[in-house]
Amino acid sequence: MREEIQRIKEKTLAELEKVNLMEELQELKVKVMGKKGSLTSLLKQMGGLSPEERPIIGQVINEVRTQLEEAWENQARNLEKKALARRLEEERIDISLPGFYLPKGHQHPLSKVIEEIEDIFVGMGFTIAEGPEIETDYYNFEALNLPKDHPARDMQDTFFITEDILLRTQTSPVQVRTMQKMKPGLPVKIIAPGKVYRNDDDATHSPMFHQVEGLLVDKGVRMSDLKGILLYFSRQMFGESREIRLRPSFFPFTEPSAEVDVSCMLCGGEGCRLCKGTGWIEILGSGMVHPRVLESGGYNPNEVTGFAFGMGVERIAMLKYGIEDMRLLFDNDIRFLEQF
Amino acid sequence: MRVSMKWLKQYINSNVGPEELAEILTSGGIEVGAVECLNKGFKDVYIGEIKAIHPHPDSDKLQVCLVQIDTKELTIVTGATNVLQGDKIPVAVPGAVLPGGKEIQPTELRGIPSNGMLCSDKELGIESVGLDRSKGGILILPSDAPVGKKLEDYLELDDHVLELELYPNRPDCLSMVNVAREVGTLLGVQPSLPEWAQGEVPVWPEDIKQKVEIENPDLSWRYAALLVDDVVIKPSPLWMQNRLRAAGIRPINNIVDITNYCMLEMGQPLHAFDRDKLNGTIRVRLASQGEKIVSLDGTERKLDSDMLVIADDRGPVAIAGVMGGLDSEVTDKTTKILFESAHFLGASIRRTSRKLGLRSESSSRFEKGVNPYWAVPTLGRVAELLIELEAGNPMSFTEKVCYLPPAVQIEVSLNRVNKVLGVDYTSQEIEKVLDALNFAYKQKQEDIFLVDIPSYRQDIKIEVDMIEEIARVIGYDRIPTTLPAGAQTGGRRTPEQAFRLKLRKTLIKCGMNEVVSYSFVKKESDQIWGSDRGNIPLLNPLREELGTMRTSLLPGLLEIASRNSARRNMDLLLFEIGSVYLPKELPLTALPEEVTRIAGLAQGGDKRHWLVPQAKYDFFYVKGILSEIAKESGVQFEYRRVEGSKYKTLLHPGRSAEIFIQGINIGVVGEIYPQLDQEWGLQRPVLFELDFAQLFKESNQTIIAKSYPRFPAIQRDLAVVVPKDIPAEKIQKRVFELGGELLKEVEIFDVYQGHPVPEGHKSLALTMRYQSAERTLKDEEVNALNSNILSGIQQEFGAEWRK
Repeated sequence: MREEIQRIKEKTLAELEKVNLMEELQELKVKVMGKKGSLTSLLKQMGGLSPEERPIIGQVINEVRTQLEEAWENQARNLEKKALARRLEEERIDISLPGFYLPKGHQHPLSKVIEEIEDIFVGMGFTIAEGPEIETDYYNFEALNLPKDHPARDMQDTFFITEDILLRTQTSPVQVRTMQKMKPGLPVKIIAPGKVYRNDDDATHSPMFHQVEGLLVDKGVRMSDLKGILLYFSRQMFGESREIRLRPSFFPFTEPSAEVDVSCMLCGGEGCRLCKGTGWIEILGSGMVHPRVLESGGYNPNEVTGFAFGMGVERIAMLKYGIEDMRLLFDNDIRFLEQF
Repeated sequence: MRVSMKWLKQYINSNVGPEELAEILTSGGIEVGAVECLNKGFKDVYIGEIKAIHPHPDSDKLQVCLVQIDTKELTIVTGATNVLQGDKIPVAVPGAVLPGGKEIQPTELRGIPSNGMLCSDKELGIESVGLDRSKGGILILPSDAPVGKKLEDYLELDDHVLELELYPNRPDCLSMVNVAREVGTLLGVQPSLPEWAQGEVPVWPEDIKQKVEIENPDLSWRYAALLVDDVVIKPSPLWMQNRLRAAGIRPINNIVDITNYCMLEMGQPLHAFDRDKLNGTIRVRLASQGEKIVSLDGTERKLDSDMLVIADDRGPVAIAGVMGGLDSEVTDKTTKILFESAHFLGASIRRTSRKLGLRSESSSRFEKGVNPYWAVPTLGRVAELLIELEAGNPMSFTEKVCYLPPAVQIEVSLNRVNKVLGVDYTSQEIEKVLDALNFAYKQKQEDIFLVDIPSYRQDIKIEVDMIEEIARVIGYDRIPTTLPAGAQTGGRRTPEQAFRLKLRKTLIKCGMNEVVSYSFVKKESDQIWGSDRGNIPLLNPLREELGTMRTSLLPGLLEIASRNSARRNMDLLLFEIGSVYLPKELPLTALPEEVTRIAGLAQGGDKRHWLVPQAKYDFFYVKGILSEIAKESGVQFEYRRVEGSKYKTLLHPGRSAEIFIQGINIGVVGEIYPQLDQEWGLQRPVLFELDFAQLFKESNQTIIAKSYPRFPAIQRDLAVVVPKDIPAEKIQKRVFELGGELLKEVEIFDVYQGHPVPEGHKSLALTMRYQSAERTLKDEEVNALNSNILSGIQQEFGAEWRK
């Protein structure tokens, strides 16, 4: 009987080696250890053994059984490993193929720049005001200290609808409109982004363009405050290491007036192609609100002062994104827009 | 204004260089646009005399000249035909350089050695020099040009010109004398100015025969005339010609040159009349309607009753401040002259010049404002030059003064200066500025100045104007950087602005690209797509196709899509958020309504990808985007077929809808009407346009979070075949009703037409989600609900269950 047990063990171990599939492994287990399995039937034959032999053989059978079960488990693990290896091999993909395409929209560079400017000034406590693009002569010119036939009107080529109604040439009319709405409230602290129009069309001028106007009217507003606010803005917009400089200029609605330059963002002020070797780039016009404009807005210039500034969004977008021709901004070619 | 450095240095004792001065002026508020060297780059060009000319023995086209320079004689072969023996001409000798870098070498032309080159004005880069014969050939200099002298020295080209780009507030700097003052202020140098430049009024005998009348003293404050006899017309001296040329003015003859020269010095435009052609009283008056004059340029001008003229007893002899009349022009035969030096109101001159389309040096100066105080001193300078140049004898003078602006005195308080600028200047610093400006002042108190503003600074009217002067003379860089000290405010976007930004971001998230188009469009396109209320035309559009204010964003989008398609950018998802302009009446008498719209255009499809089939940008794709907008707005869009509106012929009637929120129409969506797309070179684009204000009004952006049910949901699918014309949404809604309160969601997940679904029918697959907040549902009750739904729609829509 011992031989028989030994034979079953060896045969089973040999067969186990050859098993490749989990199902075969199970079948083999049933064949040997199932109710009718070869090893089980030997156990049943134990009744015919002598009482001395019985425990010995029983022990042998149990040992074989344990050995076989161990072998089975080993083989099962092997098979699992093999199956996993096979799966990994089969499921291998060409990782060089392009990934899934997620359609993505793009914000127009002009609206992107406006949003950025808005965020900077909102962060400084400004609110956003808006005004009509079709304006009266009064708000666009007269209320801004530009009476009819004033030579400074020549600085802006105006689109007219009637003699008294026109397309605003600047966002400055929003200054007076806002003051009239808020008077006598203080402070008046707004920026006013929007479209403006001038009868001009070439590589550096567009008949429609965008400006952001700024206005702060309060008791004791100083020109040094204007400088501080604009320095902060320039650093937020163009980088922490930017400096600004003010140059005397002329706008009918501010006095004193200043043109504001920012140190060149390309060369840092050493002089390059972008800043034409000067180290400075003109970005906006500004000044202290003219007493007449405060009066138009309903404020007493002896009690309050204010500063105002206006910047061209196109110019800032061109500087920021290295756009060489302004016309690209209004051409709306999808290949251009998809870069933003 | 072109400022010659040489001329300037006659008044300013400083060795500042042109580039350095340009920088100082610019940072002082007088912008210098360019610094120009008058010599355009030639070297070693001398004045020569042609001693002899022979034809070239071997060429018909060449001549051989014997040219004398100094003591040397050179043989030079030239192709020019305009030179004669005895002519004075510029000669580039061997070794000379011409503008552009060309170097002159001794050479041989068809066997004859040539040692230099005769030059034309073009080759030398100079203008309005020489005799008339110079045209198109060698420059022929006046016969008194000194042989052997360097041309550069002769024409005073070793000079730089600063091109001032003046703002409208500084017309005073259209005068060399005032430029010198400004430069003196900024350099801290006292200018040395002649007496006439100080506004000294000369004393002349009054002419009692020549009467002057001003009929419109509001438009002309002052009219002065200098009467001159024994006039000899001849060229002006070289120094004057050189200065005029440097200033960009062409020398004509001594009289015209004197008027221009004095205008440049003092800023006062002058006019010279031939006195023999004038009759009777000189009147400054408005023209009568339809009156005519032939102006100096030979054009007949029709005048109207808003235009100021100078007239004698017979009619207009000049358009005041704009241009003289041809009849009284100074000619070679003129012997008696009336020099006019007057004030005319800028606004009036501006209107006249615009209406006539006629601009002159004189009109542009009057427009900006001329100092009426200097009318007579300028005539004094004219007289001085007439005598110096032996051009005529100033005999007498006549004048009418109606008004002179009162002298301006401004109180400047140190405290106010420091408060407005945010600085801490001292009284001494203010005094220094006032001295540099040469403004007379008294100190009312230690820190309050009473400043007398000179008549030439018409731009300084109130205290802040003086504050600017102080700030700029001390330098804007002295102003420190501070932050406003006032009350803190919370910055924010209004709810409407925030909502607009949110929708913009939503559309971008949906894959749409934002565009910005012009607010003015072609009238015809706007009439087709825009408002029935009419559209607003511009009086002076840039181009006709940009002549009308848009009443819809769609034509702009179609135009952009069209341009993109023409460049093979076929797959487009575009949107714009912008205003349209709706007139309340036409022509406008009040401002129109400006309404914000959101519009989009979709054409083509997703980028083709190996992983998934390409999604087409069709009606449903766009409807999906719109439902994102609805979701972000917290509203439900309702779609109704376009019936009766103008979109019936613009959008495909079977593939378009008007969009409603609770019965309020807020926009439209649809595929373009067949064939209309071809006009734009497009392929079945889908368009939408929504009214932003309405959407904002109806929107509900409040979010109230609900917790989710703890019990599992049960899902059932149901496929039915129904007649094709029954809207899916109708079935979906009915199913939802039939399902009762346990039915939480009904979605359509498949729509199919074609075999084996019978003709005229479609198969709809619905998925239903049942859920209870209180318990786990049993299969049986859900099955019962489902059969209830099925029998309901079988009855109502003739639906058949597709197992």
